[in-house]
Amino acid sequence: MGSTLRALRALVLLAGFYLLGVLLLAVLAGADYLLFAHTPAAVATKLAVVSVLLAVPLVRGLLMLRTPKGEEPSGLPVTEADEPELWRTVRELADQVGTRAPSRIVLMGDANAAVSEDARLLGLFPGPRRLYLGVPLMQGLTEAQLRAVLAHELGHYAGSDTRLAALTLRGRTQLLRTIRNFEERAGSTEARERTRQERKNAKAEAKGKETREVDTGHAGVTYRAMARIYTAYAKLYLRATLADSRRQEYAADASAARIAGRDATASALREIPVLEGAFGFYVRCYATLGTDARLLPPPGEVFGGFGRILSARQLELAGLRSELPTEPTSPYDSHPPIADRVRRIELLPADGRADEAHGAAIALLADEERAYAALEDAVLTDEVRQFRRTDDWQDLLDGAMAANLAALNTPLHRALALYTKAGPTLPALLTLIDDGQLWQLARRLPLSDEAVAAKGRAFREFVRPTLHNSLHSMVMAEFSARSRMRWEFSWEQSAKARLLPAPGGTPDDDSASELDASIGAAVDRALSDHPDTAPLRALLPPAPRSPRETDAPR
Amino acid sequence: MTVLLWILGILAVPTLIAVLWLGGVFVKEFFAQMSGAADGEDGAGGAEAAEQLGLLPAERQSTKSAGPLPTGWEAALDAVRGRGDGGGDWKTAAELLRGIGRDWERRSLAAYLLAEIAAEDDGWLLAWEADGPHGPDDPDAALVRARSTVILAWKIRGGKLASDTTGEQFAGFHRLLQRSREEIARAAALNPDDPTPYVTEIWTALGLGYPHSEMDKLWSELTARDPHHYEAHFSALQYWCKKWRGSEQLATEFAERAAAAAPLGSLLTAFPLIAHFEHDESDDSAADRTPEMIARVNAGLADAAAADPTHPRLPELRHLLAYYLALQDRDEAAIEQFRLVDGYVDALPWRYHGSGMTARYCRIRNLSAQAVTSAATSATAEQESAGAGTGAN
Repeated sequence: MGSTLRALRALVLLAGFYLLGVLLLAVLAGADYLLFAHTPAAVATKLAVVSVLLAVPLVRGLLMLRTPKGEEPSGLPVTEADEPELWRTVRELADQVGTRAPSRIVLMGDANAAVSEDARLLGLFPGPRRLYLGVPLMQGLTEAQLRAVLAHELGHYAGSDTRLAALTLRGRTQLLRTIRNFEERAGSTEARERTRQERKNAKAEAKGKETREVDTGHAGVTYRAMARIYTAYAKLYLRATLADSRRQEYAADASAARIAGRDATASALREIPVLEGAFGFYVRCYATLGTDARLLPPPGEVFGGFGRILSARQLELAGLRSELPTEPTSPYDSHPPIADRVRRIELLPADGRADEAHGAAIALLADEERAYAALEDAVLTDEVRQFRRTDDWQDLLDGAMAANLAALNTPLHRALALYTKAGPTLPALLTLIDDGQLWQLARRLPLSDEAVAAKGRAFREFVRPTLHNSLHSMVMAEFSARSRMRWEFSWEQSAKARLLPAPGGTPDDDSASELDASIGAAVDRALSDHPDTAPLRALLPPAPRSPRETDAPR
Repeated sequence: MTVLLWILGILAVPTLIAVLWLGGVFVKEFFAQMSGAADGEDGAGGAEAAEQLGLLPAERQSTKSAGPLPTGWEAALDAVRGRGDGGGDWKTAAELLRGIGRDWERRSLAAYLLAEIAAEDDGWLLAWEADGPHGPDDPDAALVRARSTVILAWKIRGGKLASDTTGEQFAGFHRLLQRSREEIARAAALNPDDPTPYVTEIWTALGLGYPHSEMDKLWSELTARDPHHYEAHFSALQYWCKKWRGSEQLATEFAERAAAAAPLGSLLTAFPLIAHFEHDESDDSAADRTPEMIARVNAGLADAAAADPTHPRLPELRHLLAYYLALQDRDEAAIEQFRLVDGYVDALPWRYHGSGMTARYCRIRNLSAQAVTSAATSATAEQESAGAGTGAN
């Protein structure tokens, strides 16, 4: 289908939305007319009010003409002077694709690449083009792979896909918004009905009468019916337009394979989901490690660290790369399944370009370090940028873990505070255990129905895992507070806590793991059916001299 | 306006018909319920007949065991239980097990009953382990410890289907069963001749899903120590059942093989009946009246008659026999078995009904009682009429 024809269809589908609205309004008006003509005025008025209520969201859907302005994703725009090499590559690829190069390149902070075009007059005229390029993607791809990604994105310009995107998007947003409008109303009607019935029940209960189940089944049903009509249309709409967007993806893949080479394109497609996963993991476990403690890695490291973890965990990533994501895609996903796209490209004849441009794509940037730092300033929020910058990653880990442990709040902490009405501290807990009140305290933990029903040993077995985990963390926090714990930072694996056997002692593997094991055993003893806190007390680091600090009010 | 009334009228007709029909159904159901309550199957008629035969009413049935415990055990268990504060007397427990000695049937039952108490509260058991003459190496204390851990594990799992059991329950169940393996091995090492630790391990095997090869190994250890142990066979049959780790075929083969190899009086004839019971999903009693089932019941009757009358598991076989005799309409024989176990209902097939086990027991028993008494009255009536006939002649 040519781009003009596709534009026409997009227009018809969008017009269909308006037509549907007008049609439904006409039906409502007709029903009102018949009502007033044939039924007593009181009934007719009542029903007319209902129809007016239904008409409101319809009219609103029709009148909301403006597509909500998509929020400009925050990124770092780079000029040709900033990154000549990158610009040269993009222009060269645009030439090969046979399209106009974008007028702006924006570096982004996620593992993704995208293009956009601010088309004018419903996509009939082209407008300024933007290329969004995720720096983490550049860190993980080779230069050849990045060329494939760029060629794919530029291929979308060539197919005029970006021009029509606005039109298609408008129809989609409009539909979804109208459906949401109806459902919100149905929801609030239901909520009102629920409170009404609950109030009635409360009254009945106060009079000693049986209460009825709250049933909001038919409240809001009219709104839901309307929403259903629109949902059906939305399904038709999405299916029609999504077949198109999938075809566009295949076409862009084919042009990428032609320009950047078959192997580079296929391997880039394999690499992207791996990088997305790895970047998510990196952000979760490394970059935002210090968020709670209001700490940030050193300047430039928020993104720079991703390169380090990629090289440290190469073996792990190689395993992920060989398998393609297999999760079923929704019929409304605008992209075909990645496995499918890879298979199509790998079916193309070999082009003997497997060994091109093996260097890392990040080298296209003039100065990586400077770019990382500048990108941080562009994408981090003002609040995050106020966080303290640590000296290095080890410093970040130490600070974050110490803060986490100091702010520890386990279920046991909460139960203890509830039970003693005092600040939950480890010494207070141990004294309470010695006084034989552990199992009364355990009743204050969050319990499952089965645990609540259990008695004696069965109850103790139910609560023991929670007690063990909580008490173990409390002991760890104590070690941390007395500077008897060191964390080991590693790019290859998760951080390990290492306990220091004696103040000032050097950590060595055997004694540390021994200490760890004996703490586990001592915690078990303190939580046994007949608790004994002596072994745990013996292991705990000595309290500071000032007696006031530990003498928790009981 | 009239048009609307017409429309309403037409709509009202089917609604009215539906309402009338529904009302009719309700009224019919109501009367059926009323008459059912008056002379239902487990109604007053059956209970009266049972009373006539000297059988106990439902409220006097004990749900604690399948039959009377051996003399002295009740008192000993009460002493061990104490006042429920863990302050029970461990010396009585030690004495009980020491007195039983190498009678493995009794030992496994006594150890189970003691472990059941310890699974509630093990204060006395801890005291035994601390203060006993053999200290923590007492084989009897070690056995009770292992059994109590397994019982506690099953208590935490609860008796519901896997789909109704929470992750927390399964986690506790598996944790305790794992712990029990060590304790079982210790108990077995402390008393190498005793099959009871292996009986206990079958329930660990069941819960943790030992592979069949492991189970067979465990079984050969067990049978080397006691080839015809009742509780061992009972537990192993559960393992081989379809609902646990086996299948109907495996369970039936196991039960038939055990029953065939056992000498008369060892009570293993109970297991083909249990295998049938565990896999019977039919709604009527046709499957319980097959020639095969009648033969199994007959074998059970002969076995029970030959058994030591004080065998602690004899009542369990009698409950099964009574149940199947009743289903096979051999009411006289059924009542004979009911009479021998009456007053205790904690046995298969009633046990699976939980708190309803007494009701279930009484219902089946009363049906048989009613059949027996009505047969007796009609017999006397016939005799009387026959006597009258001869008198007239």
